[in-house]
Amino acid sequence: MPDVYIVLGINLIVWAGIFGYLVSLHSKISKLKSKIDERLSQK
Amino acid sequence: MNSKLINYSWQFGLFILLSLVIIGTYFYAPLAKGLGEYTRVMYFHVPAAWVTVVAFFMGAFYSFMYLRKRDLLFDFYAEAASQLGIIFCILATITGALWAKESWGAYWNWDPRQTSIFILLLIYGAYFSLRSAIEQNETKARLSAVYSLLAFITVPFFIFIIPRIYESLHPDPLVNTEGKLKMNAKMLTVFLSSLGGFTIVFFWLMHLKKTFIQLSIKLQKLTDQEN
Repeated sequence: MPDVYIVLGINLIVWAGIFGYLVSLHSKISKLKSKIDERLSQK
Repeated sequence: MNSKLINYSWQFGLFILLSLVIIGTYFYAPLAKGLGEYTRVMYFHVPAAWVTVVAFFMGAFYSFMYLRKRDLLFDFYAEAASQLGIIFCILATITGALWAKESWGAYWNWDPRQTSIFILLLIYGAYFSLRSAIEQNETKARLSAVYSLLAFITVPFFIFIIPRIYESLHPDPLVNTEGKLKMNAKMLTVFLSSLGGFTIVFFWLMHLKKTFIQLSIKLQKLTDQEN
């Protein structure tokens, strides 16, 4: 396999890892916010 | 409205910076002699290792703050920073191993760089083992804060000092053993931009983790009030 594709693969692993983690954190925060809003509206 | 605009504008700025880094990596920066296409790995492997150091430093800082203020929030922040440190350390190790396979013929060679990062992973792995072994929150926070401070003392040795003492197959670091900065100006531009971009991404992740912790505490308080 040409070296440039291997490098591209390594690059993709890094960015996919970082952005995957960013997205998962964002979704966890949104879930928590909606839970808090739900609790506050019940009061 | 204004704060949302500021929020989106810096995120857009970061997106542009990182896009330029990726474009610069493949189309602007020249290749180094002897490394060929693998020169390009440097633009994300080294910043990942750098962010590991920043994250572990933040972990030690929040641990110190916990010991000073005895506020559990700092302990949670220290744990979050160390988690990010471990993630970036694993990224640096994996990208390094893939590079090693192509450059040296094997994923793992027990080279001083690989050995030192492996020991660092073990040290911070033990930090999380320690945390999971103690149930009482204050004791857990106190012991892990002391451990985190001691663990951080080893970081400069394993990242910066030991790999420079022993003979290694690893390419010269940015500032080499003679204390000189040897890098082409175009390469240096892309490299420093990548380093900056990764650092901002780390602080963004840290901000998100802190927000998550604060919201979890708020939800817990609401649940406690209901019960």
